[in-house]
Amino acid sequence: MSSGRPEWASLTDQDVVLLARSGQEAAYRELIRRYERPLFALLFRMVRDRELAEDLAQETFVKALNAIDSYRPEFKFSSWIFKIGNNAAIDHLRRRELDTLSLDGSPHAETPEAMQATALQIGARQESPLDTVEAKELGGAIEAAIGALRPEYRSCILLRHVEGRPYEEIAEILDLPLGTVKTYIHRARNELREALAHLKE
Amino acid sequence: MTRPPGTHLSPDEIDSWLSGNLAREWQQHLDQCQTCLERVRIEREIVDQIATLPLMSPAEGFSDRVMASVSVPDPFSIRSLQATRRRIFATRRSLAIAASLALLILGSMGGSIAWSLANQETLASVGNWLLTAGGQVAWLSLRGVASNVIEQPWYTGFRSLLENPGRLAVASGLATTVYLIGVLALRRLLALPTQQVAHASI
Repeated sequence: MSSGRPEWASLTDQDVVLLARSGQEAAYRELIRRYERPLFALLFRMVRDRELAEDLAQETFVKALNAIDSYRPEFKFSSWIFKIGNNAAIDHLRRRELDTLSLDGSPHAETPEAMQATALQIGARQESPLDTVEAKELGGAIEAAIGALRPEYRSCILLRHVEGRPYEEIAEILDLPLGTVKTYIHRARNELREALAHLKE
Repeated sequence: MTRPPGTHLSPDEIDSWLSGNLAREWQQHLDQCQTCLERVRIEREIVDQIATLPLMSPAEGFSDRVMASVSVPDPFSIRSLQATRRRIFATRRSLAIAASLALLILGSMGGSIAWSLANQETLASVGNWLLTAGGQVAWLSLRGVASNVIEQPWYTGFRSLLENPGRLAVASGLATTVYLIGVLALRRLLALPTQQVAHASI
């Protein structure tokens, strides 16, 4: 600390939350600064729409920061904010269930066979000009392949390999058993491998 | 850990390999098994590609837009609340006093509600008596004030002013002007400085 102002870089998320609880607006802004990019990137890749991702990110921060008193410091702040954000994205995707179902199969499908039976073939999906623009913006086959995963797989793979979160934290964020998280990540990588196989050929 | 013959790396072992924590025994298997080697190579490629996805930021002003909808608690009220809490929990004695006071207040409130419910008639008669006596006191006071005003030496002049509409208008105009000048002077005195005050910058 110097001249009464906190050295933000030296403070943990928990410290910053304590300062926010004591009414320091700068602490709120520091929490936003720390998580706006990873949260926005996660949401953008979940919903594949910049404007919507920004709305969801804003909604997530407003919800989290207005309820900062209910945050329990024994858990990671990152888990908390990602959990709120991921729930917002999943809720949104569920509301758009018809579209999601056509791509990813029923969210209630437990086995790969059930998912396949409830899903339309990705190749059969007519891409609108907007989709094409979005695909260009996302850039690259890997982005498109991640976008075609079912939402639960998408969250897992993004949290694991883009955000570098450990399995235990992903399980906490998504409220899933550890084994399920591992299975989802493994299946997601399998699907990505299949989706990207044509590039090899 | 012993590896059953003919088995390949499981997803967990592939994860361990990706994180650089694969057991030596499996590492030896990997050196000899082309299937597993190809599998981990592809997994590594996918993970590397995911890791190179571009970083993204929301549009400029995002933080301000969020903060516009966030209510930051007032530091002063939090501090005074915390100070009160600290004082209460400072010693056993202070805690006992605070608890006794809280019990006394809650007990009195409870007792008062219970008594009121059991003695509604008494309460009604006391209320009526207070209303009558209060009305009489108010009427007597009004009469006293009026008699006092009438006996003042300036009352005759004031009464003649009320009887002459021209004079009344001039007097009202003068009074309004004086009032407005007073309001303007007060606003000027209470206005915030328009320029930055050196010692007030945070």
